[in-house]
Amino acid sequence: MAVPVGRRAFLARLGVLGVALGSGALLPRSVLAAAPAGRSLHELVSLVRPVLAELARDTMNGLAVFTCPGPDSYSRAQGTPREEPGAMEAETPDFLLEALDSFVPFPDQIAQPVGAALVTGLSDSEVPLDGLESLPAELRALDEALAAVLVNDATLPLSFPVAGMLNLMATRVNPAAVNGAFHSPFSRLTYEEKAEVFRLIEGPDADLVALLDAEFPQPLRNSVSGLLRFVGGALIEFAHFGAYSEYAVFDTDSRQLTGRPVGWRLTGYQPDGPVEGWDDLIGFYQERTEVSD
Amino acid sequence: MRDVIIIGAGGGGPVVAKELAARGLDVLVLEAGPRHDDPRQQWTSFENDANNPLTGYFRLGPSDRSRPAWFKEWPQNSFVWQLAGVGGTTVHYYGNSPRALPGVFAGYDGADRDEYDVEHRFPFPYSELVPYYEWVEQTLPVQTAVMATKERVFFDGCETLGLPVQTTKTTLEPSYRPQENAILQPGGNAGRTTDTNLLHHPDATGCTLCGYCFQGCMRPVSAPRNQFAKRSTDNSYIPMALTADAWADGGKPIELITDAYVTQVHAENSGGALTATGVTWRDNVTGDSHREEARVVVMAGGCTENPRLWFNSGLPNPNDWVGRGYTDHFFDWITGVFDEPTGSSKGPGSAARLDYPPYGGLENVGLPPALQAFATTLSDSGIRGQYTNGRGMTGPWDGAAGRIMGPEFKDLLDGGLDNLLNVLVITDDDVEPQNRVVPSAFPADEHGPVAKVSFPRRSRSARTNRNREFLARKATELLRGAGARKVYRIDWAPLILHVQSSMRMGASEANSVLDADAETRAVRRLFIADNSALPNAVGGPNPTLTSQALATRTAERIFQRYFGGDPWVAGEAPIVSTDARVSDRLAEIGY
Repeated sequence: MAVPVGRRAFLARLGVLGVALGSGALLPRSVLAAAPAGRSLHELVSLVRPVLAELARDTMNGLAVFTCPGPDSYSRAQGTPREEPGAMEAETPDFLLEALDSFVPFPDQIAQPVGAALVTGLSDSEVPLDGLESLPAELRALDEALAAVLVNDATLPLSFPVAGMLNLMATRVNPAAVNGAFHSPFSRLTYEEKAEVFRLIEGPDADLVALLDAEFPQPLRNSVSGLLRFVGGALIEFAHFGAYSEYAVFDTDSRQLTGRPVGWRLTGYQPDGPVEGWDDLIGFYQERTEVSD
Repeated sequence: MRDVIIIGAGGGGPVVAKELAARGLDVLVLEAGPRHDDPRQQWTSFENDANNPLTGYFRLGPSDRSRPAWFKEWPQNSFVWQLAGVGGTTVHYYGNSPRALPGVFAGYDGADRDEYDVEHRFPFPYSELVPYYEWVEQTLPVQTAVMATKERVFFDGCETLGLPVQTTKTTLEPSYRPQENAILQPGGNAGRTTDTNLLHHPDATGCTLCGYCFQGCMRPVSAPRNQFAKRSTDNSYIPMALTADAWADGGKPIELITDAYVTQVHAENSGGALTATGVTWRDNVTGDSHREEARVVVMAGGCTENPRLWFNSGLPNPNDWVGRGYTDHFFDWITGVFDEPTGSSKGPGSAARLDYPPYGGLENVGLPPALQAFATTLSDSGIRGQYTNGRGMTGPWDGAAGRIMGPEFKDLLDGGLDNLLNVLVITDDDVEPQNRVVPSAFPADEHGPVAKVSFPRRSRSARTNRNREFLARKATELLRGAGARKVYRIDWAPLILHVQSSMRMGASEANSVLDADAETRAVRRLFIADNSALPNAVGGPNPTLTSQALATRTAERIFQRYFGGDPWVAGEAPIVSTDARVSDRLAEIGY
C-alpha cells in the first residue's frame, strides 16, 4: 500500500522527508529501498535516529541565528548577515540541543504525544514535492521507522518535536521552504518569515493546537495552548541567553574560560577578563551615609 | 521529637531558625537543594554556569547538576525564577531591603488610603511591624547603598521629575533615594581598585562593586562566610543559626539537612483540632524517605512550593484560598541607551530606587550580557517591528513595546553594555484569586504532583494595569531626563521573581490561609514564614525585608504560643550577623 499524498506532504513539511530522501539527504535511498528484505525494523530505526538528530541540529542553527545573527550561511539565508560573530560562533545550537535533550525536565509522557502528533498528523496542504513523487516504498519504510522511534524510544529527544513544530509552521508560512539549502525548512526562511512562525506559535495558531490536542487525553488537552505560548517564548529567550553567555568557552573541569565569550566581545563586558571588583565608587548620594525615621 | 521543623532554607525559614535557635529550641531545617557550603569551589560568577535555569548552580533541582532540573507547568509565556538550595532566592537577590508601604496595612489613614489593594491589607498596623523591621535591619545589617556610575545616571533622571529625596526608612510620599541594601558598604580598597591583589579581606571589606549579585556573593576574597558583602541568608541567618551557641546565651545550633525534599506534612486530630505532627522528606541523593515528628512545623518553601506541598499532603482547604492571590509585581522592563558610559554591569545589581505610592516603584538594574539578552526578549508583545501578539503598546518610549533581538539587539549594543541603563517597573499588583498555584495534570515527579502556576493572560485588575502603565511612563520620563538617546519598553511576560501572598495572611477567614500570627487557620501548630505569608504585594517594594520582619514576629508568636516563652524583640538588642563569634565558629565547623 502506498503512503497517501497527504502523509507524504506532512513528512516533507516536518523536514523529515528532505533530510532522509531529498537532494543532499543523509540516508541513502538504497537503505530504505532495501527494506524490508534482510533489514529489521530495529536496524532501520538505528539508521533513522541520527538523521532526525541532524535535522534537529539544522533547525537549531536556524533558531540560534534568528536571535543572534553573525557572518554564517544561516544568517545570510535569513537575510541578516553581520560582520561580527553571532550565535553560531557562540555554539548556541549545541547549547540548545544539550538543554533540550538532556536537561529540560519535560516529562516523557508529554514529549511523546507531542512527537507523535507531529509525526502522525495529517495535512491537507498542497505542498509541491518536486522529485519525491515516486518513492512509495521508501516512504513507507521511513514512516515505519519514525513510528518505531516514537514507540520504542524510552526518552524522546525533546529537540525532535521542537524542531518538527518549527519546520511544520515554517512550511505553513512559506510552502516553498520544503525544498532548498539546509535540511530544515525553518532554516530556509527569511528573518521576517521566522518571526511569522513565532507569531503563529505564540498566538497560538488554532490549527497547531488542534493537531496537538488530538494526541492528548483530558485533562491535559486544555494545557496545549498554554504550553505553546510558553514554548514559543522560552525558545527565543533561552536561545538569546545562550548566545550571549560564556557557554562555548567555559571549561567545566577547571571552571575557567578558555577564550573570550562572543557575548562579551559583542557587549564590551569585562574587557580585561573577570574581575573581583570595580573602581567605580563615587561616594554617597548627597553624602548621606544612613537614614532613620 | 524536634521542637520545630522548618521546611526550606530560603529568605524566610532561616530567620525563624536563627531566632528560635537563639532561644534554645531544637530546630531542624530541611532544604531541598544544595548546601552551597564552599562557594569558591562551587560557584564561578559566570552567567550560564550560575543562572542557567536547567543546569546552573542556582536552579530548581538537585545538588547533582548532571541530573535534570525539576519540572513545573507554566501555562503561559512566563518564567518562575525559583531556586533550590541554602539561601533560596536570596542567593541571587540584590539585597534591596525597602520597607513595605504603610498604605498596605490595617488602620492606614493617609489621603491616598483608598488607592491600595484595600480588600487585602495586613491584619495589623504598620507601627506593629516597625520593631521587627528594625531588628532585621540591624541583624543583616541593612545599610544605605553607595553610588556608582549607574546610580549617578539614575539620580540625574530622578532630579528632573520634581520629586523629593527620601531620607527616612519609611516611605511617606513619591520620592527617590539610594537603596537601603542588605549589602555591607565598601571599606578599605573595595570600590577603589580592579587589582585582585588589593581586594582580599581585610584589605577590602564589604561590597567590591564586582557586579555579580545575581551569580552569588562570595566577596571580598578570603572573608569569613558571614562577612561576605551581600547578606543573603546563606551569608547571614544560616551562619547565625548554625552557630547559635557561640553568640546567644543558652542558644542551640540548628541541624541543617540539605538535598532533603519534604513531600508531606503530617497532621492528626488532637483535642478536636487538626494539628501538625511532623513531616516526611525524601533524600535526593539516596532516594530514601525519612519521617520526623515535631511540636511545630514551619513551611518556608516559597510561594509555589508551599501550596504544592499543602495539596500533596491532603491538608484541608475550606475556603479554597490555598495557592490563590499570588502576586508578582507584574514587572516591566524599560531600557535606555546613552551616549555616555552608565557603568551598567558594575556595582550591586541595584542601588537606587524611586517609590511612587500608591502605584509601586522603579529601580535601576545592571546586568551582565546573557541576562541582558534574556531580559530584552521576555515579552508578551511579540518581536518589535514584526508582530505585537495583540499588545505592542505605544507611548513616550521609542516605537512599540516588544522583544529586542536579532539585528536590533546587536545595533542596540553598538556602544556596549555599559551604555545602557535598565529600569525595573515594580507594580503594586492586586491580590486576585485567579493568579494561583494548582496541582498540574502533567505527570508527577519523584516528589508528587508538580505545581502549575497560572497567571491567566491579560486579566489583571484595572488598578494593577493602571499602576503598571503609570510607572512605565514614569520610567521613560526618568531615562529621558537622565539623557537617554533611545528608550525601549519590553512589556515583560510574567517574570515570577518577586513572589508574594499565595498562602496569605489576612483579617478575614473568607480569603486568607493564615491568621494574624501566621498560623494556618486549618491546621494548628503549622506556620508559614516566607513571602507566601504576606497578605499582599506590600505596595511594590521588594518583599524580602518585610518577609523577614514578619518571620521574626512569627518566631516570637511560636515561642510564646507553644513553648511558654516571652517575646524578645521589644526588650533586647539584636546581634549583627557579621559578629566575629559567628565567624570563629564557622571556621571550626567548616561553613
